[in-house]
Amino acid sequence: MSNTIIEARDVCFSYEGSGALAVDHVSLSVEQGEFLAILGRNGSGKSTFAKLLNALQLPTSGTLTVNGITPSTEDDCYEVRKSCGMVFQNPDNQIVTTIVEEDCAFGLENLGTPPEEIRGRVDDALHSVGMSEFAQASPSMLSGGQKQRVAVAGVLAMRPRIIVFDESTAMLDPIGRRDVFALARRLNVEEGITVVWITHFMEEAALADRLAVMESGRIALMGAPREVFAQADRVLALGLDVPEMMKLARMLKAGGLKLPEGLMTVNEMAHALTRLRKSGGRPCSAPESAGAHAPQPEGDAVIDVKHLTHVYLPGTPFEAKALSDVSLAIRSGEFVGIIGHTGSGKSTLITHLNGLERSEPGTVFVKGRDLGEKGADLISVRQTVGLVFQYPEYQLFEETVAKDVAFGPSNLGLDSAEIDRRVQRALSQVGLNAQEVAEKSPFELSGGQKRRVAIAGVLAMQPDILILDEPAAGLDPAGRREMLELIHGIHESGVTVVMVSHSMDDVGRYCDRLFVLNRGELAYSGTPEQVFLHDQRLHEIGLDVPECAKLARMLRGAGFAMPEGIYRAQDVCGAILNNLSGEVSGDA
Amino acid sequence: MLKNMTLGQYFPGDSFIHRLDPRTKLMATIALIAIVFVSQGFSGFLAIAAFVLIAAASTGIHLKFLFRGLKPIMFIVIFTFVLNLFFQTSGTELLRLGFLRVTDQGLRMAGFMAVRLILLVVCSQLLTLTTSPIALTDGLESLFRPLEAIHFPAHEIAMMMSIALRFIPTLMDEADKIMKAQKARGANFETGSVLARAKAMVPLLVPLFVGAFRRAEELALAMDARCYRGGKGRTRMKQLKYGTIDLLAGLALLLLLAAVIALNALGAF
Repeated sequence: MSNTIIEARDVCFSYEGSGALAVDHVSLSVEQGEFLAILGRNGSGKSTFAKLLNALQLPTSGTLTVNGITPSTEDDCYEVRKSCGMVFQNPDNQIVTTIVEEDCAFGLENLGTPPEEIRGRVDDALHSVGMSEFAQASPSMLSGGQKQRVAVAGVLAMRPRIIVFDESTAMLDPIGRRDVFALARRLNVEEGITVVWITHFMEEAALADRLAVMESGRIALMGAPREVFAQADRVLALGLDVPEMMKLARMLKAGGLKLPEGLMTVNEMAHALTRLRKSGGRPCSAPESAGAHAPQPEGDAVIDVKHLTHVYLPGTPFEAKALSDVSLAIRSGEFVGIIGHTGSGKSTLITHLNGLERSEPGTVFVKGRDLGEKGADLISVRQTVGLVFQYPEYQLFEETVAKDVAFGPSNLGLDSAEIDRRVQRALSQVGLNAQEVAEKSPFELSGGQKRRVAIAGVLAMQPDILILDEPAAGLDPAGRREMLELIHGIHESGVTVVMVSHSMDDVGRYCDRLFVLNRGELAYSGTPEQVFLHDQRLHEIGLDVPECAKLARMLRGAGFAMPEGIYRAQDVCGAILNNLSGEVSGDA
Repeated sequence: MLKNMTLGQYFPGDSFIHRLDPRTKLMATIALIAIVFVSQGFSGFLAIAAFVLIAAASTGIHLKFLFRGLKPIMFIVIFTFVLNLFFQTSGTELLRLGFLRVTDQGLRMAGFMAVRLILLVVCSQLLTLTTSPIALTDGLESLFRPLEAIHFPAHEIAMMMSIALRFIPTLMDEADKIMKAQKARGANFETGSVLARAKAMVPLLVPLFVGAFRRAEELALAMDARCYRGGKGRTRMKQLKYGTIDLLAGLALLLLLAAVIALNALGAF
């Protein structure tokens, strides 16, 4: 018992004015030095529970003891916050000052620590998160991942025994996410800091010591990640996902393979499969001669970008090339993906596609019209090319959902009957019940619903081409799946779709063709199969290929005959079963 | 449009003036302004101008930035000049334009007021060019701290200023994004009558305010989580300390004051 650092007994919490319990009789204990992950849908009570741990809220009933303190007075809360630090989701909204090292000192200054001691601890903390060289920088010049590292340093300087990360990787790109997770893991292992890691990402949860799944304020599942994910149906029903390899393992078992239980990572799976294969084949590796750019398929381009270059803040010390000689063409009816890490030029590229930005040199043609021409009718271009920005729900402004969705069509000068018709249609296209939501304020809706309303606002312009920037960002796994299915449906209805994403899994599943941007240049283009051939290079520029593609490469290296560029779970499963046909038990 | 706005005009550097304690610089600026008012003639102004120019030159900042701050107030300078020129009617007449008389005393007064205004702006410009906004905030907090005895919220005001400085770039970014997003939905911010343009700002301002409140709430929570409880019992990592250079700056100012008073007494032009 002496090693228990967090002890919750029947903890309940409800927000003022709301009858429902946000946290509902939660009991759990966390050992000193443990790495506990908490999963759950949006609104399942994870964040509220995090606030209870940090004494930002006090339980309405039950007892919660953190580092030996059961807070009841304001001074107790203060003591809890000293020993239990918290890193929040939005990197921008937790940095207080304009200089990195001063922000790092903020907590210690609040504690009244003597200046010389603050200096030393701040330097140590910045060193520990690898941000020493940015000590004098302004946070607004840092990337999301770097900002989160500064936030961790600010907490670390206070020498906490526990750090709670409340979806701290949700708004980061894959590099930032890997970085921050690795940092938390290292602090846990090397410094013995207890970590409570709240996340939507299964691959992070899989690496925790223990996993708790929350649903409607209660703990629905709890145990080692392997045990929890083994109950795949239950996990999926809770609106979550299971690691890709566990899904594949189920498919392989259904195909008759006898695999050990609890395979979670690509390495484990490759190892298990190689052992299953008795007859050793000859190792072969993929030919690396594949060109970076597959030839353009035939067909008329609806969007044709030629030699586009965009310089950011030219003539100032901040001058930077955001796009450099990018040429690409998108054909009518395609579903294409644009991928790249933060700062690769994705967002700059898409704002050129509807004339929001124009640059020299380079031309952008939409349906044959040159957007750079003087007097180009940009309103009609923006009607043809609908653009949904990242976190579009932050752009809602009207009193009612219907009025907000009507904003676009009324800017087009349509009559009110037509506007009404379009609003109804757009709302049903995004899967919302028009009767139910039309007269509500958009600010009353849940996060996922708000995003749908914002997308409806663009669809109501009835664009032929729809561009979406990270449409699934920040959603929980079920919300993510629903959002991607919705976009898939919009594409099926005949709209050309361009989706910007960090996630190779998402673009691999839905896109016909991919464009990979790296530092403003078009690094690769082609079908997912063609692009995923460059998996090692993609990894170097901070993008990962889907796990099944990684597995396929490893197995090919181990002598399995795997088709080139294969990445879909069912294809990989089929290929493995072909290879192991001799090993499949006869009675299957 | 938003990209052209820069925050403050601080030029980083390591000159004598840059290294002065922000409190010294704040007080010195106030003292300089006072000296400008003490001076009763152009010779005094000349002494002050020489002082400011030498100080500015020592910072390594191009002089054009020193005078750039004059642009917005040029209208006021000209207005003051013209007003004084025509309405000071005593003295010998130099020129007559219909009912308007220009006298030697009028010309002197007009020039005097214009130069005084220019000097005032240039002095404060020197402060903002060499002091980072955050150092200014720290300096103000420290100078006003004694007033906390009479419940003047020095710490709170400084904290608000510092948070504002922190979030201005973030909010400008956000405004830019929202503007683009609404433009993508066919919004028009650039043309139309004044009323139409004011109305067109609603789709920009509502999300911007909603966003700012959301950020404020999250930031407050993050500050709470890091044990913020107001100014009481707080220490600072960077302590402001007066050094020899601050003393030197004070002495230089005293010399300037003495020179200006002497020039006044001599009745120099």
